[in-house]
This record gives sequence, structure tokens and C-alpha cells, in this order.
Amino acid sequence: MRTITFIDAIKEAYQEEMRRDEDVFMVGQDIRGAIFPHTKGLVDEFGPDRIVDTPISESGMYGVAMGAAQEGLRPIVDFMFGGFSYVTFSECTVSTGQYHFLHGSQRPMPIVMTAGVGTGQRLANDHAMSIHGTFAHHPGIKVAMPSTPYDAKGMFKAAIRDNNPVMIPWHMGIMMQKGEVPDVGDDYIVPLGVADVKRQGTDVTVMANSLQLQHALKVAEKLEGEGISCEVIDPRSFVPFDLDTVLKSLEKTNRLVVVDEDWESGSFANTVSANVMESGFDLLDAPVTRVTLPNMPVPGGYMEDYIAPNPEKIEAAIRKVLA
Amino acid sequence: MNASTETLSIEQKKTLFRNLIRASEYNRMMYRRMMQGKLIGFYHPAEGAIAPGVAASSFLNQDDNLNPHHRGHGITHMVSKGIDVSSFLAEHTGKDTGCCKGRSAWHFSYPEHKVYQQSGFIGHNFAPSVGWGWAAKRRNSGQVVMNCSGDGSYGEGRAHEALLMAQNWKLPIIFFCENNQMAIFSRASEMHPMEHISSLADGYGMDSVIVDGQDVFAVAEVTLKAIAKARDGGGPTFVECKTLRFNEHDIGTPDLGGWEERSESEHAEMREREPVTLATEKVLSEGIFSQTEIDELYAEALEEIAKVEEFADNSDIAMPSEEELMSAVFAD
Repeated sequence: MRTITFIDAIKEAYQEEMRRDEDVFMVGQDIRGAIFPHTKGLVDEFGPDRIVDTPISESGMYGVAMGAAQEGLRPIVDFMFGGFSYVTFSECTVSTGQYHFLHGSQRPMPIVMTAGVGTGQRLANDHAMSIHGTFAHHPGIKVAMPSTPYDAKGMFKAAIRDNNPVMIPWHMGIMMQKGEVPDVGDDYIVPLGVADVKRQGTDVTVMANSLQLQHALKVAEKLEGEGISCEVIDPRSFVPFDLDTVLKSLEKTNRLVVVDEDWESGSFANTVSANVMESGFDLLDAPVTRVTLPNMPVPGGYMEDYIAPNPEKIEAAIRKVLA
Repeated sequence: MNASTETLSIEQKKTLFRNLIRASEYNRMMYRRMMQGKLIGFYHPAEGAIAPGVAASSFLNQDDNLNPHHRGHGITHMVSKGIDVSSFLAEHTGKDTGCCKGRSAWHFSYPEHKVYQQSGFIGHNFAPSVGWGWAAKRRNSGQVVMNCSGDGSYGEGRAHEALLMAQNWKLPIIFFCENNQMAIFSRASEMHPMEHISSLADGYGMDSVIVDGQDVFAVAEVTLKAIAKARDGGGPTFVECKTLRFNEHDIGTPDLGGWEERSESEHAEMREREPVTLATEKVLSEGIFSQTEIDELYAEALEEIAKVEEFADNSDIAMPSEEELMSAVFAD
């Protein structure tokens, strides 16, 4: 297999799905010129009617997607940075998430929402915050985040083919990470709702995603030298969430560390912790331990390095549950 | 700025008057059922403000997108578009034959008639209206978007985004403002700096027109022109109807202007502009309908409404299990 970057894998998903289905189009702000490389050059192939730039009017921009989806088209909305989705949050969550259920299951609402998220760029709060947990809180929206180029291409394709609103942000910290991906045109999808064991182990289960998955894998490598065997699970999807894969792992390890680059309060890590408590209490030899962002605005500057989850914090949490 | 009604045909006038009577009687029925405890939730009565929606909706094609104003819970607009609202009344009665399967109380959805949804968030008509208009333009489908909402909704930033994008892209959208001059209690004159909401259109270079919203024929006259222009690729128009709200905001809230009771003299003055009375005088004086024919129109409307009520009343209460409901959160 060839090797490409994470961000190019996302772009290939757009290209192949737009070639496959004329109803697929993208709407965003300055996506033709490409603030991030996942939309670079798309306008040359698909034209400005399918790579649509709007004014800085997030509700109107999202409205293009919502109305067009009701009319049978299949939009991809790019918010640029995840925090910008908050500007039209009621449309993203309440209006579209409720639509299918509350309006009698008459029509689907196929919308893909995406945006760059995460720490690592030292950009602070509005440009660095995570949004997956907040979106996962709202019913009717699928939420997923890929962690490898292979998963990125397959999951974005799955999201575009899904008949529901799907929020699928991507982490800026792994944008240029390279990985093996099948050739262009070798169609595959990675289904939403299926977790992936990225590393087998027996002593402790670490759940982590995106940049934090990379951190967790590094820590696992390091601890292997000390004879500590970490199983590392990438949830890949938050809604639907593959709890079974986590519980199955706990049958071996009996210990769980959940790494979640999101504020501690109301985070997805809390959901996992509660789910495991309710469904896997007897499997646990230690309390579920979380590594999250403290409840402060995500700082920019150099302090981001020690406030956000990082390998040191993950290692400390692993040692704690093993103590 | 009031347009004459000279270009309307006799048939068009007949349609408008018939729909005005139907809309008025449907509103009465909804009001009565709320008072009888036969509606779930709440009801925002439309009396006094019925004419604009009838004029906006009576001549749309079935594939034209319609966002009804929330007053009257969309029923005056939907019956004028020709939608059988039996399943909406069933919905509003909590029945399993409801258009939303009894899950939604006052929300409606008739996608086959291009009425997709109702939102409880005022101003949430604007974003999807941009999308419907954009899709129509992209597909060159000839569809127009009738985007009805009130004066209050133009306080939302979303309204301004939609005006900007509709005019910028020349989308086939009619910004149909049913200005009853009231939010729940607050008067538009206190919440907006300009006398006319439609003056917003000037800032975006959009055509606008102000019309007497108590005159169903006058509203239809200007609206038909706006529809024709949009369908021909001429872009959006802002139509502002000056209308009135006779009742309180929703049944049971006090009838205030600001924080003081609206006066008897204000009500008396409003009642002089009752749209059905005004239209009746006109159709009689122009010989469009005789009194006997008008009586028949009322009888037909009441018969139609009785069937709608019968359908709702004879349906079963929707009581799906939690599992069934969970399986409806996502589409397949």
C-alpha cells in the first residue's frame, strides 16, 4: 500500500465520493482557496457550484446544507475550526439532530459536519477546543473522529454515505501524520460505530483518540520495556459508541484509563466511565481513571503543553490504576 | 405603496376568499379545541392576522417550499396550499395517525408538499430557507421559497445572514414578513429602530414592498409578482404585510403591550380591520360571490373541518415504547 498524509486521506474521501455521487457537495468559508489542505484543489475538479464558499454567516452557511439535504442533496459542511460550529449550534444540534425523530421519520437529514480541532497549535480556546463530547450529548447526531489516514478516508466515506447528520472533526495535531491507505479508487469504508484495538495488551486498557491515541501508543511502547502491557483502544466513533470492545478488553486487563482531550465536566470520558461502571463493574480491579482537560478555557501559548493531556499525564494515570 | 388588486382574476379572488374563510374557521376550531382541552401543548391564535398567510400560500405550486408563520401553528398557510391537515390535527391531539407519529405535538411535517418542519426557535426558518433556495437555483428547478415569519424574527442575526446570502446569490426566496407589530408582549416599535421591517432589504439592495396585511387581495397582488419574479430568476423580494394580532400571544398569557394591558380602544380599532369582514364587503360589492354563495362556503368549510376533527378524535393515542422511539432517532 502507498503512504499518504492524514489530511490527504480526508481529501481523497471527498474526491471519490463527489465523483461517485453528483449530489455530494461542500459548503464552507474559504474552502476553495483552502485554509486547510483537505479542500485544496477541489474547486478545480468540481467547480464553485459544488465547492461553495459563503460569507462569514455560519447559520446561513449551515442553512445551505440543511435545506439542500432536505431537498435530497448530500452536503459536507466545513466549519474550518470546530469552535466555529458554536456560532450556529442550534441548527447543528437541535434543528438537524431532532429532525428525523420529531418530524415523523419521514425524511433523512444527510449532513456531514467537519472541522479542525484540538490542541498542539497553541491557538487557544476558540481555535483549539474539542467538540465531539458536546455534539455527542445531543441526540440524533452521529459523532466520530479518525486517528489514522486509513481510518480517516474510510470513516469520511462512511459519513458521507450515512443518512444522518454526522459530526466528524479531525485533529490538527495529526494532520501531516502519514500512514498506509489503499490506492485511489480502491473503494472501502470504515463503518461508524466500530472501535479499533490499535495495540494488544494484557495489563491495562487505555482508550484514546486522534492526537491522544498517538500519545497513548508512545506511552505503551515505553512501558512495554518495563514489562507493563497496555491495550490501546481507539473508539473511532463516539455516537454510536462501541462499548462492547472496551468491555471485552477489560475482561483481560481489568483496568481502564480514558484519555479524552475535552473538558472534564460533561465529557465523553464521563460517559464511558459511567457505562463501564454500569455494565462492567465486576470486571474492574481499580477505579476508571480519566485524563482530560481541566475545566479552564484551553490556554494558548506554551502553557498548553502542560495543561492539555500529554504522554506524561497518560503514563501517570496508567501507573495509578496499576498501583 | 399599496398595490391595486386589479390584476387578480375573478377565479383568483374566489380562491383567496374561499381560503380566507377556511383559514378563519380552522383557526376558530383550533382555539375552541384548546379551550376544550382537546389540543396538546399550546395554541397561538391567528385571529386578525390570517390574510397574509392565505395570500402567500394560495398560489404556490406543490413543489414550492413553504415555511409557515408559527401563528395559527401553520394551519392557515397549509390549508391554503392545499394540504390535508387531518394528520396535523391528529398530531396536535397526540394521536398515532399524526404527521409526526404523535411525537411532536404542535410540530408539523409534510415533505411531499415541501413543508418540512416547524421550529420552536423563532428565526430558524431563515437558514433552511437559504438552503431550499440554493438547491432550487442549483437545480434550476423553478421552485420558489415562501419564507413566512413575523416582525420579531427579524431580530435574529439569522435573518440578516439570509437576506445577505439570498440577495448575493439571487435566490428565489420571498421574505414574507407578517408584521403584526407585536412580539409576545413587546411592540415592534420599541424593538426595531425603523418603522418598516422591510427597510432592512434596502441595506442589501433587495426589492421590497409594503402592503396592507388586512387586505388578502392586496397581499396576493404583490406576492404573485414576487413569486413570478423569483421563478424567472429575478431573485428575492421582501414583502412586508402590516397586520394585527387580535388575541393574546398564546392562549392563557395576558394580553399586554409592553407590560400593560392592551386597551379596549386598541382592540376596537383593530376589530375594524378584521380581514374576513373586509374581504366579505369587497366580494359582495364586486359581485364575486353572493351572500348565499358565501353561506355555502362557510358550510363547506365547517364540513371539511368536522371531518378533520373526526379523523383526529377517532385515532388512537400514540404510546410507543421507549425502544420503538429509540429506534427512530436515526434514519437507516
